[in-house]
Amino acid sequence: MSLTIQNVSKIFPGQRQGLFGRSEGFNALDDVTLSVKTGASFGLVGESGSGKTTLTRCILRLESLSAGRVLFNDTDIHKLSAQEMRRLRSRMQIVFQDPYASLNPRMTIHDIIAEPMVIHHDTVGLSARQRTERVAQLLGQVGLRTEHLYRFPHEFSGGQRQRVGIARALAVGPELLILDEPTSALDMSVQAEVLNLLHNLQQELGLTYFFISHDLGVIRYICDEVAVIYRGRIVEQGRSADVFERPQNDYTRMLLEAIPDPDPERSPFRQAASA
Amino acid sequence: MALLDITDLQLAMRSYEGETQILHGVNLKIERGQIWGMVGETGSGKSLTGLSISRLIPTPPGRYLSGSILLEGQDLMTASDRSIRALRGRHIGMIFQDPTTNLNPVFRVGTQLVDVALHAGEADPSVLGLSAGASRRDRKRAARETAIDALEKVGIPNAAQRIDDYPHQFSGGMRQRVLIAMAMIGKPDLLIADEPTTALDVSVQAQILRLIHQLVLERHIGVLLITHNLGVVAQICTHVAVMYRGRILESGPVLDVLKRPSHSYTQALLDSVPTVHTKRGELRGLSGIAPDAFA
Repeated sequence: MSLTIQNVSKIFPGQRQGLFGRSEGFNALDDVTLSVKTGASFGLVGESGSGKTTLTRCILRLESLSAGRVLFNDTDIHKLSAQEMRRLRSRMQIVFQDPYASLNPRMTIHDIIAEPMVIHHDTVGLSARQRTERVAQLLGQVGLRTEHLYRFPHEFSGGQRQRVGIARALAVGPELLILDEPTSALDMSVQAEVLNLLHNLQQELGLTYFFISHDLGVIRYICDEVAVIYRGRIVEQGRSADVFERPQNDYTRMLLEAIPDPDPERSPFRQAASA
Repeated sequence: MALLDITDLQLAMRSYEGETQILHGVNLKIERGQIWGMVGETGSGKSLTGLSISRLIPTPPGRYLSGSILLEGQDLMTASDRSIRALRGRHIGMIFQDPTTNLNPVFRVGTQLVDVALHAGEADPSVLGLSAGASRRDRKRAARETAIDALEKVGIPNAAQRIDDYPHQFSGGMRQRVLIAMAMIGKPDLLIADEPTTALDVSVQAQILRLIHQLVLERHIGVLLITHNLGVVAQICTHVAVMYRGRILESGPVLDVLKRPSHSYTQALLDSVPTVHTKRGELRGLSGIAPDAFA
């Protein structure tokens, strides 16, 4: 598996003005070039409105590009036919940010996790009974039990729901998993568990992660490589140890300084107060 | 006398499945100039403690089994609704978590701020800088000036023009500032901030924390900051209380509690925060630990 993003730009058209005119568009992504290594975790950090989500939507082809190419295993996914694209989608899956909104409240956990296998029946090719077995196996992998199979999302806590979301994404056996802020809606203690689960799954299944977050602590913990995005431009990228210890860019430095350190002696306020 | 003194607060909530006790005897004492952080997981009762202080829990379904909350000696538990209403916004300011749902989208920001200013001015005309007998028109004009002034204080550029904008024209961080401005208009003695930065970016979070810190220095108020982010607590709080299942397990000065936690739960919470120095696989979750272990 390889994922390469070459010179991708995305301009959202501006408002209509008069009959034929349009105001200037909004440049959500500006000449973004990235490459994600197989079996590694790639982290994308940025504030809200920086273009993180637009970039993932472009990778999944939920959004068309204004310029550039997205290569998945050396095929330009934006040139594929709708049918070919649908087949490819079983190899890239996404876990969403909000585990409360991304599970259908009227479907059982079994149906939620089995749904991608139904949609991708032509590539996965499992019978209904095999699907149920697979769902049970997936539940075990994400740390839930088979007794949870026929329950509904509201019976689960946030952390458990996010586990269901991960199981659903893994159902069709993807190579690339896109994680769009998977822990930002969770408590710290639960976040730690979900991060460890993701780490173990990656080692077991050889997954490649494309991890989006605005929490630098999380990115530092889980990612091998990191890119910092600011107003649609990549301002810095490299190995996460390098970026975090020797940031080259002012914006990255500012972001790193803004992380509240859990060590009270490193607080700028306390230093100011005692000085 | 302490600014806020909570003793043995016990709260039960009724639901279809029967009554459950939520708070099992919370004790907390806040002095002026102190910023208390209250940390704990979802459902540990931090928010309900905060809401209890401004008496915002409807009874029923809530029921207080015992306890007293003293604000500068005045017992809030036995106070009448009328006197509580006079305290809210005047002596107790509150900031809630989600700035998008806590501003009314159909009213201009200014209208909402002026409402608060007028309400505060009713109880104490000096908030608006007027004498008691001022005319309606004077009060309205003064309330608007107070509102603009409050917006300027929280660092909104061009406050005099922005005040006529609607909430959707503000970014998330600016909306949160509007809420802080709203809470500060009545010049409260006690500020309760319930997860004020959880929905915000780190850079905006840093600005908001700086703002709260500055307010404490300037006005010498007391702050109760409810959060689950230990980093935030370590940054600006002077004291911290760790809550677990309706009890305060450990409390004291930040440097003592976070540096030398005496309780294993506090240590477990600290271990679950990924920092720049944590190696992969080192992070610890909490669910493996038996819940009774901390009780």
